[in-house]
Amino acid sequence: MEIIINNKTIEVNRELTVLEAAEENGIYIPKMCAHPELVPYGGCRLCIVEIEGRKGYPTSCTTLVEDGMIVRTDSNILQEMRINLVQLILSEHPSACLLCEDIDGCSLFQETIRKVGVTTGCRWCPKDKDCELQRVVESFGISELSLPGLYRDLPVEKYDPFFDRDYNLCIYCGRCVRICDEYRKSSVLALRQRGKHTTIGPSFDDNHTDAGCEYCGACVSVCPTGAMSEKSRKWWGNPDTYTSSVCPLCSINCEIQVLSLHNKIVGTIPPGNPHETAGELCVKGRFCLSEIVNRTERILEPQFRYPEGYGIVQWDEAIAKGSELLNATLPGRSAVFLSPDLSLEEYQAAKIFSEKVLKTDEITSSRLDSKQIACTKLAFDSVPLEKVKKADLIISFFLNGNYNYGPLTMAVKEAASSNIPYYQIGWIKDTTSRFARHNIIPAPGDEVKILDKIIECLENGTCDNDVIRELSDQLREIGNTVLIVGPWILSLTNFTIILDRIRKIISITGSKLYMPDPYGNLKGMLASVALKPLESVIEKINRGEIDLMYLIGDIPISARKKVKHVFYQSAFPAPEDLIPDVILPSTLWGERGGTWAGKNGSTVMLKQVAKAHDYALSHIEIFTRFASASKVKGANAAIKSKSGKVPVKLKPKMPDEFALASVRTTLVSPGKKLPFVIVQEKSPHVYMNLDLSIGIDGFSELVKPGHVQINVSDAKEMEIKDGDSVHISNARTEKTYQVVARKNIHRGVAYLTILNERSDFKCNPCYVNIRRADV
Amino acid sequence: MNQLNSSFTETLNNHLVEEGSLIPLLQKAQEQDGYISPEKVAQISEYLKMTESQVYGVASFYSQFRFTPPGEHSISVCLGTACHVNGGETLLNTIGRDLDVRPGESTSDKKFDLKRVACLGCCALAPVVKIDDDIYSKVNVVKLKEIISNYE
Ligand code: SF4
Ligand code: SF4
Ligand code: SF4
Ligand code: FES
Ligand code: FES
Repeated sequence: MEIIINNKTIEVNRELTVLEAAEENGIYIPKMCAHPELVPYGGCRLCIVEIEGRKGYPTSCTTLVEDGMIVRTDSNILQEMRINLVQLILSEHPSACLLCEDIDGCSLFQETIRKVGVTTGCRWCPKDKDCELQRVVESFGISELSLPGLYRDLPVEKYDPFFDRDYNLCIYCGRCVRICDEYRKSSVLALRQRGKHTTIGPSFDDNHTDAGCEYCGACVSVCPTGAMSEKSRKWWGNPDTYTSSVCPLCSINCEIQVLSLHNKIVGTIPPGNPHETAGELCVKGRFCLSEIVNRTERILEPQFRYPEGYGIVQWDEAIAKGSELLNATLPGRSAVFLSPDLSLEEYQAAKIFSEKVLKTDEITSSRLDSKQIACTKLAFDSVPLEKVKKADLIISFFLNGNYNYGPLTMAVKEAASSNIPYYQIGWIKDTTSRFARHNIIPAPGDEVKILDKIIECLENGTCDNDVIRELSDQLREIGNTVLIVGPWILSLTNFTIILDRIRKIISITGSKLYMPDPYGNLKGMLASVALKPLESVIEKINRGEIDLMYLIGDIPISARKKVKHVFYQSAFPAPEDLIPDVILPSTLWGERGGTWAGKNGSTVMLKQVAKAHDYALSHIEIFTRFASASKVKGANAAIKSKSGKVPVKLKPKMPDEFALASVRTTLVSPGKKLPFVIVQEKSPHVYMNLDLSIGIDGFSELVKPGHVQINVSDAKEMEIKDGDSVHISNARTEKTYQVVARKNIHRGVAYLTILNERSDFKCNPCYVNIRRADV
Repeated sequence: MNQLNSSFTETLNNHLVEEGSLIPLLQKAQEQDGYISPEKVAQISEYLKMTESQVYGVASFYSQFRFTPPGEHSISVCLGTACHVNGGETLLNTIGRDLDVRPGESTSDKKFDLKRVACLGCCALAPVVKIDDDIYSKVNVVKLKEIISNYE
């Protein structure tokens, strides 16, 4: 069809709004509330146009193009009305940043002494020079207010992690509310009340966390004004460089854009137009990454442990002293530990270094125990994420999608809201739970029994439980099923049996599997280096067959073992009890280019974005220096050349499972029934040797390690408040914790995040009693 | 409390799980408690598979719903045109200040709640204040204090 906009004939072949058609053809119509991902809203009315034959001034963002339409976008009357609309906005929006007569000088030299307070807005709005309202005002050339100013005087909300909200700057475009609802499907924000009393936020006085916020940052990204701002980069000013990259914080490896300013990473956002991109990232990729890189607690210089204590040394000395220890170690008597968060180049270099300089093949990773190996073997058959989106039935097992795996949870929510049946088996109310036909919350012991029942129902058609029958019927009838298995399964006592049952369900039904893992480059590590299971290496250490441990961004043990030497090479400090002999500061993701595992076995090359502090060297550089010092012929050159050549296609090789007596294959009895089920999850939020749930303030507020999380209503019934101490006990264990009362915990469940190898309660899940510590 | 909750569960089960059930359920909740409590919002949202924010957002849009428990006595100040020009706003502010209560809420001792209404249909008597079922006409600030003291 053809339409005419401002006398220009335009060909339109799809269903478009007038606004979209104009934009595609380079015709500017001011807008504020329209957003490409969102259903047209018609709230701000800035996009009004004149259409021949139509009454009044329709909003172009809500009007579909019709053949033969004749549209005007720029008549005087339209401009005048738009200016009046902007004036109305400005009467409530602090506007000194827009209209102050000292704007030019102030932005250059900050010359004026009449700094205006936040109440009226000034150069000190976090969105200054990046604000859509500012741009609209400038485009109209407005330089004076025509209406009296009103300051709403709403308190600035700073009590939630990661972003602040100053609704005094809000223009009620509703983009944040709609992006959270329509696009992320979290529906955390609502427009509350109406008219001039409207405010934005969750129900009653809820904080964002209890309202189910994932801290995905979509609302912050799409807010056209400074109403929403990221805490960590609020006052940095606008980035000077946008570099595309991938997130190294889980196996999904989302595409991101890294925002940097003067070679410093100030933030990370999803790909696309920075003002419009809502993206699929989770909180880790959206908010934590830059905080990780900018963490002040880094190893600053090389250190050597003398008999009288640690001394700071120059790199040359560190290499010389380290080399002495390396040379004194016999071949085969070193063990190398790798972080699953390194680049392919770093793995190649580590491999050659171990082979030629350390002369050992005892290479492993703290994350590569036999359970993880068993899981990863299964995960090799994981289907791409796109298959989750296209599944006809989705069942998740032990998935904790809170603060995790953004694209996965979005795929589930999207499928389920288009009526694809979704069932969730597990203990956490995550962002997908609301979309499940049924949330099955297994009692201790039932995590296996439920799977057995499903199998029985599939095989014999007998089933005494309605929900299980419904689920099994669906499994049998619907071909295109995806089972999502969360890595939480690794922390469960009956892990081996559960894994076996899941395999069985897959073999009976032909279902596909999706298994995210929380490591950035586990696949790359497995494809680059021939690894041993963690237990076999640890056993060797315990038998005294290892003299030197070389830890590369990885800490397999919290306290030093009986070995002669420990080398510790990482960006973040080691726990005190590790007592390394040589400490070598390394660079981090973003501070050195590298290649990562991408989608479906491909690889992604990343550029260096930021500069590390002066004394940090890249892992590869450290290996090369040791190689030169070692006098092993060709080692240096081999590291250099091999680390320059990484595979384009990844073929991960798995070490053999290390059959260990400690891995149970018989069902563990759950013990006596008590009022609560305690579930423990090993923190999946680790990058290198930094646990985000301790290392990143905002994140620790969400995950709260060391605290027990229970449902708010349960807490209320027991008269327990946030922060109170409780005793949690069963026949075997009694422990005291501080309580966090949350809405995202199912009733009757108590949830613990575990940081160490060892869990607090022996059996996971198990029954417990909870009582207040003060009665 | 538990009994109330279980009777509300019954009410919930009498409604289909669909958006159209939201307003009727909110009305039932208010009938039962006299206001929309956070607990009821939680129950309704759980049942309808909506978030509490969505439920609250819809509920707060309508002035028929209140979110704090009603007081023993309900004070309505008319702000219809006639009452407004005759000083209804001043009456509202006075009560707000004296009893420390905002429109739509109740005093901390739950004695009174305050709301604004638009035209009680007796404009000739403006400004009008209604307490429970009693209408007071041609009220002024002095008279108002006296009237209220009768309820304290
Ligand atoms: S951060 Fe994400 S989940 Fe939270 S309110 Fe914003 S859009 Fe919604
Ligand atoms: S907070 Fe921002 S996005 Fe949300 S309504 Fe206000 S201006 Fe729009
Ligand atoms: S889902 Fe994984 S890859 Fe994506 S942003 Fe989160 S941690 Fe990063
Ligand atoms: S952009 Fe069309 S009404 Fe806001
Ligand atoms: S305006 Fe108050 S009674 Fe009509």
